[in-house]
Amino acid sequence: MPENYIEIENLRKTYDGKKFALDGLTFNTVKGEIYGLLGKNGAGKSTSIKIMTTLIGFNSGRGSVAGYDIAKEASKIRKCIGVVQQEESYDFATVENNFKLAGLLWEVGREERDSRMSELMDLFGLEEIRKKRMFDLSGGQKKRVQVAREFMHDMKVIFLDEPTVGLDPIMRRKILDYIRQKANKGLTVLFTTQNLEEADMICDRIGIIDDGKIVEEGTSSQLKNRYGNLRTLTIWIGNDSIFSKEDIQKVFSDIEFDELDVRDNVITIITKKLEKNLGNIMSTLSNNNIQVERINVENPTLDDVFIKVVQK
Amino acid sequence: MKIPAFLRLTIRNVVVNTDMGTMIFMLGLPTLYLFVMGFMFQGIVPNGLRINQNGIDIPYTTFLAPGIIALQSFTAGNIGGGMLWSDRRWGMFEQIMVGPFRRFEYLLGIIFVSIFFAIVGSLIMLAFALAIPVSFNYTLIGVITFLLAIVIGTILFSSLFLIISGIAKSMQIYQTITIVLFFLLDFASTSFYSITSSTPVWLVYIADVNPLTYISNILRDSFIYGVNYQTFVSLGIIFAGMIVLFAISMRVFRNIRSGI
Repeated sequence: MPENYIEIENLRKTYDGKKFALDGLTFNTVKGEIYGLLGKNGAGKSTSIKIMTTLIGFNSGRGSVAGYDIAKEASKIRKCIGVVQQEESYDFATVENNFKLAGLLWEVGREERDSRMSELMDLFGLEEIRKKRMFDLSGGQKKRVQVAREFMHDMKVIFLDEPTVGLDPIMRRKILDYIRQKANKGLTVLFTTQNLEEADMICDRIGIIDDGKIVEEGTSSQLKNRYGNLRTLTIWIGNDSIFSKEDIQKVFSDIEFDELDVRDNVITIITKKLEKNLGNIMSTLSNNNIQVERINVENPTLDDVFIKVVQK
Repeated sequence: MKIPAFLRLTIRNVVVNTDMGTMIFMLGLPTLYLFVMGFMFQGIVPNGLRINQNGIDIPYTTFLAPGIIALQSFTAGNIGGGMLWSDRRWGMFEQIMVGPFRRFEYLLGIIFVSIFFAIVGSLIMLAFALAIPVSFNYTLIGVITFLLAIVIGTILFSSLFLIISGIAKSMQIYQTITIVLFFLLDFASTSFYSITSSTPVWLVYIADVNPLTYISNILRDSFIYGVNYQTFVSLGIIFAGMIVLFAISMRVFRNIRSGI
């Protein structure tokens, strides 16, 4: 078994012969890993997935999925992957028949098909709508069917292109938990999303793609340490202590900060060196008779990292 | 038991298309043609409308029935070929193409479902025709010729609709083309009427290049007039048409990259 379940090296793809949708994409994932591919619209996420799932070709570079070459062994790859496309995809049939047909197409035996269908319908909350036709479902329900149906067959790698769009938070959480369970059992997951909180929660490693190549890669905390070392300190001061921004700036003239804001009785300080400055800030407030009611420290989010990386 | 990929796709296509709308299009409309049009035309002449062709005089309903059965190849081809459009529109083409299937297996799934619908539909229409009743002669060569004509005709029309499915960029364009073809091919053929010396020349030209004309004529030979040299010529013509359209549809199909 190969160590890397997805191995992509210097992949380039152009649709019009001028602009490259992928321009040297390189990354890899190991067995059982959830790899998040993040990027703004048009960064190359869906094109990457289409190439890795052998739906479209590429101009140069090389890659393999589950040990099979994406250029030469397309049919072998297709037999061991699952794909949830970003766009809707369903048969004009009932929910139940969509599951049965997925089982039929993937040669899942009748008994296994029925038991998997029941399990997935229960898990994804589809029991009540199993007899409804896909046309009659809401966008969120269709998406649930689309994601759940893909787990009717066994696979080594699954590609999930924004699988939680349109889902309510409870269902989103259920789906993410299910994906995590599957990954713990050895399923390799390539996951794209615009919801960075979700990526933070589920992905073992994240690659940020911009202009067709990975511009940053690492675990969520590695990325935050690398790019998002700014921390936000919010201080609520007593209602009696009314100060302008200029007053506060004077008070904190000896303290290093990146940004300072004062609105009503809330002071917001953004700094790279919070640990070093926190003591000074508190003693300065005390020395100036500014009554502190509450403080809050916010760590950097993946959003901060993402914005910095793609705006670099 | 391991079911071949194209057969799994065929079964899927049958399940997806077995809905009320498709059944009405496939069976309801021809049944209406057969009963309503048959009896209405029959009734406009005092002693009943009769068609004299090949020196044989038959009631209009007997003349009409093979034409209506021939229509099954057209409607089944429309349903099958239209599946590509529907699959592209609703994301299932890409979904299937990233599954354990090759392109030609997908294509076979479409051809086979069309043939399945055409044969089942033809047999049902044949049963309806017998209820009118019509006076058909059944011979082994006649039945074989009938089946051959239905299969070849269905592949021909499936290919035609695969081409349209492959090039249509929107639902409006696809529907407009299919509706125009439906009326043009159905009515400018010998399915409903015989060509006489009074038929306008331009309509005769259209009917002459319309595959439905040949399929209707073959079925009439199979069930009424008897299989003869002209029957095989007609079979040859629709076979050649099938080869040409199938080749074009393969070319269009090969170039389809993604959804609409």
